[in-house]
Amino acid sequence: MRFWHKNLLAVLILFIAALDISVIMVMKKSWRLNMDSETRRAASEQMLIVNNIFENLDSIRARGSTLTPVLLASVAQSNGDYYLSQGIGLELRENGRLLYPNTGGGQNRQVGQTIVLSKPLPAPYQDMELTYSRDISGLYAQQQELNRFFVMINWIAGPVLALLLYLLIRRLTKPLKQLSETTRTIAGGDYSNRVELRSRDEFGELAVHFNRMAAAVEQRMTELSDMAEEKQRMVDNLAHELRTPLTSMQGFAEFLTSANIGREEQIKAGRYIWSETVRLKNLAFKLLDLSVLRHQPMVLSEVGVTGLFEAVKQTEEHQLKESGIPLEIVSSIPAVRGDADLLAAFLVNLIENAIHASKPGSPVHLLAYEQNGEAVLEVRDSGRGMTAEQSKRAFEPFYRADPARSRLYGNAGLGLSLCRQIAEAHQARVELESVPGQGTGIRLILQLPNNWPLTL
Amino acid sequence: MAHILVVEDEQPISDLITMNLKLVGHTYAKAYTGLEAAEMLEHGHTDLILLDVMLPGLDGFTVMQRIAHLRIPVILITAKNALADRIKGFELGAEDYIIKPFEMLELLARINVVLRRNEQSAPAFICDEVEVRFAERKVMVDRQPVDLTAREFELLEVLIRNRNIALSREKLLELAWGYDFAGDTRTVDVHIRQLRKKLGWEDTIRTVFKLGYRLEVEV
Repeated sequence: MRFWHKNLLAVLILFIAALDISVIMVMKKSWRLNMDSETRRAASEQMLIVNNIFENLDSIRARGSTLTPVLLASVAQSNGDYYLSQGIGLELRENGRLLYPNTGGGQNRQVGQTIVLSKPLPAPYQDMELTYSRDISGLYAQQQELNRFFVMINWIAGPVLALLLYLLIRRLTKPLKQLSETTRTIAGGDYSNRVELRSRDEFGELAVHFNRMAAAVEQRMTELSDMAEEKQRMVDNLAHELRTPLTSMQGFAEFLTSANIGREEQIKAGRYIWSETVRLKNLAFKLLDLSVLRHQPMVLSEVGVTGLFEAVKQTEEHQLKESGIPLEIVSSIPAVRGDADLLAAFLVNLIENAIHASKPGSPVHLLAYEQNGEAVLEVRDSGRGMTAEQSKRAFEPFYRADPARSRLYGNAGLGLSLCRQIAEAHQARVELESVPGQGTGIRLILQLPNNWPLTL
Repeated sequence: MAHILVVEDEQPISDLITMNLKLVGHTYAKAYTGLEAAEMLEHGHTDLILLDVMLPGLDGFTVMQRIAHLRIPVILITAKNALADRIKGFELGAEDYIIKPFEMLELLARINVVLRRNEQSAPAFICDEVEVRFAERKVMVDRQPVDLTAREFELLEVLIRNRNIALSREKLLELAWGYDFAGDTRTVDVHIRQLRKKLGWEDTIRTVFKLGYRLEVEV
């Protein structure tokens, strides 16, 4: 049974029941009031007649006549004839013996539709009794008419009410229908669907909340599919990174063992096997680094900037010299808060990228300074730079801005994603700023040591 | 035999493929990006393209669409093993699809199949005084026809197609007569002996220690 069916039935039944009960009660009350007033009227009229008869009898007695039954009957007759024309019957009894009317004509009246009152006459005629009966069939007829009317009203009002209720409830429950339809399409996968409802009632409120929920779901879904896409890209890339060196290694090993080749080609094949092994090794170690970083708690301490930069410089000394790139260090803060090894790894990765992006002679800057109450470590080069698209994807695992060149150095394309993880471990931000042809700057924004809660 | 364009951005793999192609007598050209490949194809004759799918710039699929009008057979080489990619490759008209890492012998075999299907394999192979005509299944030594059994000819063809590469007895068995051939590796030895004797190739078909046989000719 649908909600609006229930609503319609419940309201209809309740309304008709309430209407009928109250109408019946009103009718009952009015019946009783009518009856009472008739009874009162009858009583007072009876009193009048009794007094009248009493006075008549009195005056007859004063004239000295004896009260014979015939006389009594005629007295009663004179009153009774008058009242009979008004629908009122009178009976006079003396000691239970009927004096008037002498004909038995009064017996044929229906008992239910008359008011019958009996009253003895005042003394000294107390052995006489006057029975007054008033015909109230008019009242009954009126009541009957009212009953008929009531039934008729019921027959007419019921269907009209049902129709009006139907229209009203359909209108009121329309938002529900809309909501349920939208819910169905959303469940079917169309997350962009919304409820078009602009009322101010509870349904309007529900629609607003519903739309908010749908928006949240939609956003979550796009996030999820983006994430799945990135994950798929990573898996593809990882497969590529593993299969490519393996193909070369397998192929050149096969080549070395079975091909009829000269010394020179043997050396070439051997060198490729070696370089591809190095590449696979680098990949394995970088992946290991990433996984270790994800699972190992880090040691936060105050790290002296001078010492940190010195260590980084020493690590990269050889490569810098080989590429002919000067490293320029400027530091205006004494220390930062962090894990010394991880920060060094972060900077080394960035400097390696900077070296690969730079031409010989173009300097790489290693900077430490304070900005807006935070410590900044920055590596900046004046190399080739990246486009907006490349910058956006730079932190993705295995992404290389320039695959052909970076592979020459045996890079796996994991450097920046390692950097991102290091930053996340420090709850620090990384900012990348790059202009094609002008260079790249990457900033790690850390807490200054004195800003760090001392309890840590 | 055939001129093959190798489109592969990984230097080592590109070298690996071309060194093997050279060994079995194909000529080749190299392209490292899709754009470069498309340009090279517009000029000059190419019999077959070995095309990597993940290329910088234009990817392999886009290159295929761009050069479709040239009607050059393409073998796709890729690290992606997804069914959807394979289907896409075939829909674009690729002749074959090979997944990294692959064996060189397999790649060479597939190259031969594609070349033969497109009737671009060399009609004859000549080395010193021996001439092998593949279409007619005829072998001449000093212009005199030599009688070879069907098995001997099939074995000879495999040796020539994979010349300068040592082939194990099992591999020869498989390549020459198929997996379901009911012989053992001795059969190979017997037939090799016959070929050496009939063609005078005592030294040209070399026994490679611990490996098998290799047809050695000048590259």
